[in-house]
Amino acid sequence: MEASVDIRVRGLLKRYRNSAGNAVDGIDLDVRRGEFLGLLGPNGAGKTSLISIITGVRRATDGTVQVQGHDIAAQPDKVHGCIGLVPQDIALYEMLTARENMAFFGRLHGLDGKTIRERSERLLELAGLSARADELIGQWSGGMQRRLNLITALLHEPAILFLDEPTVGIDVQSRAAIWTLLEQINKAGTTIVYTSHHLEEAERLCSRVVIVDHGRVVSEVERPGAHGGAARLEEIFLGLTGTEYRDR
Amino acid sequence: MLTRILAHIRKELLMLRRDRGGLALLYLMPVCLVCIMAVVQDAPFRDFSEKQVHLLFRDLDGGAVGKGIKEGLEQAGPFQLTDATGDTAITENAFLDLIRKGDYQVGITVPVNASTVMSSGSAAAVSKLFGEISGDDGARASSPDSAFVVVLIDPAVKQAFRELVNSHLSRVLAGLGSDRLLADMTAQVQALTGKELGPLKVQEPFIGVQQRLASNEVSGNRVAIDSTQHNVPAWTIFAMFFTVVLLAGNMVKERDSGCMVRLLTMPGGASERIAGRMSAFLLVCVTQAALLFLIGILVLPLLGLSPFNLQHVDLLMLLVVTLAVGAAATSYGVLVGSFSATQQRSAVFGSTSVVILSAIGGIWVPLYIMPDAMRAFGRLSPLNWSMEAYNVVLLRNGKFGELAPFLLPLLVFTAVCIAVAIFAERITASR
Repeated sequence: MEASVDIRVRGLLKRYRNSAGNAVDGIDLDVRRGEFLGLLGPNGAGKTSLISIITGVRRATDGTVQVQGHDIAAQPDKVHGCIGLVPQDIALYEMLTARENMAFFGRLHGLDGKTIRERSERLLELAGLSARADELIGQWSGGMQRRLNLITALLHEPAILFLDEPTVGIDVQSRAAIWTLLEQINKAGTTIVYTSHHLEEAERLCSRVVIVDHGRVVSEVERPGAHGGAARLEEIFLGLTGTEYRDR
Repeated sequence: MLTRILAHIRKELLMLRRDRGGLALLYLMPVCLVCIMAVVQDAPFRDFSEKQVHLLFRDLDGGAVGKGIKEGLEQAGPFQLTDATGDTAITENAFLDLIRKGDYQVGITVPVNASTVMSSGSAAAVSKLFGEISGDDGARASSPDSAFVVVLIDPAVKQAFRELVNSHLSRVLAGLGSDRLLADMTAQVQALTGKELGPLKVQEPFIGVQQRLASNEVSGNRVAIDSTQHNVPAWTIFAMFFTVVLLAGNMVKERDSGCMVRLLTMPGGASERIAGRMSAFLLVCVTQAALLFLIGILVLPLLGLSPFNLQHVDLLMLLVVTLAVGAAATSYGVLVGSFSATQQRSAVFGSTSVVILSAIGGIWVPLYIMPDAMRAFGRLSPLNWSMEAYNVVLLRNGKFGELAPFLLPLLVFTAVCIAVAIFAERITASR
């Protein structure tokens, strides 16, 4: 695997039990180092399944995934040491404060107390959460929880960051803050793989967009911002995936 | 690895500390259960031997037998006798109603001719005996009349209680009968020999009964099973296993919230997560045991019960048993958490299964008073192995080796629960 490729996916297949078709149906994909890759697709297209397999949350039915040269099936701990995941749901403990949540996840990554404290303070400041960092996060708004959900995944300074719809259901201010934060960390060299339904987000943030449908890659768009913006991206998206509802 | 396990322990304890409802479930509920159940079960454990049984007595005889029965029952420990003899307000029907409605548990009526029947019966037996000795067939008396002391029992009292009344009454009647026989025989001998003989009366049985505790023979431990000695360890075990509700609930909540997804993308596997969670709840189990033992020592005596007795108990063995029971309980919680799809299901299944396992395992009432089939079934319950292990330490003063038949199944149970939980997580990931 070339040094410039962070993630290499080959012939990836995932079939869930009691499911008629494949959730991921033979995907080949390379993610370049430092890239901001957007995974777009309608509901049930296979985006979350793809991220789940790459990050080791689920096992593939067939195919291989290499992250920074490490096979996820054979060396999960090596892969987990260099990735961060921001799941679709708020992956935090409501009965802990922001600092306690960050300390817990930091410890699992093997960080010492001093490093955790320093990085937590910096990230909390960056996300505008310092003032309420000692409150139980169950008392926080959805937007604040989303921001903490994101910065918790950055605590161990991962080389690759996966985000699964990180801006779902939050206010405009929080979404803008998350966008800014993502741009900053991508500029600092972090590879980002990102799923979203918001095409304007993809247009603004992503250096490349991969459109997935029925478990397959149906199109790739380099520098979507240069193709006439979100309206053009939406046109491509609907042209490829159709206008029918994808209720599940 | 140790750092990650410690992080899990710290996280679990922090969350527990803030969960007031959970803390009440873990600590307050067992304290209430121990106190209530120990008081409620005090009487059945004493088996009426030290309790006053309310007895309504009526002597229609007015002779030696009526007087003897009354004195005999008054001297027997369990009865509080009320003499209704001569009370015109208590008619036959009123007497029956007082027992039927439960005002008195027992009603005893000595029949009108009881003393006459006993005297004639005794005289007949003595004359028959001495007639046979002297060869005088003519001395044989006709068959004596019979009479019955009528015992009315409150229909709501249990069988063991009825047997207790019968046993006491039979003993008193046998004593009266033998006294009468001895008196008549003495009179006959006096008549035959012409010598003045003093009254012959057997005050004490020639051969008595001496009851001792088997544990006392070995170690000097004088602690026998009573409500306190049963209920304190029993509800401690129940409390430890009841942590399943919180432990499994936390696991489901972790899965629902997305925390599990994040954890699956971090270094460290299921075994570390399980070790961390089990260690935190094992600590809870140990503190539960310490609290309930203290309640047994300090609070139960204030409720009129005997204090929980830890004298002569090997504290190291007690700790080993507590840790083994705690490990089994927390591993069961992990197992339930692995298979429960929702928090509601984990709570309902977890609590119901623990109640059932405790009922058949001898937590509510000791296994030895259950029917054979239930006893065999109960021996399959991990709560029964736990109870037996505590009994070895607390009552039987057993050695470490004597714990093996109960600790080994507990450890195997723990290992199986953990293995299945890890396997379940792997299966879920591969689906």
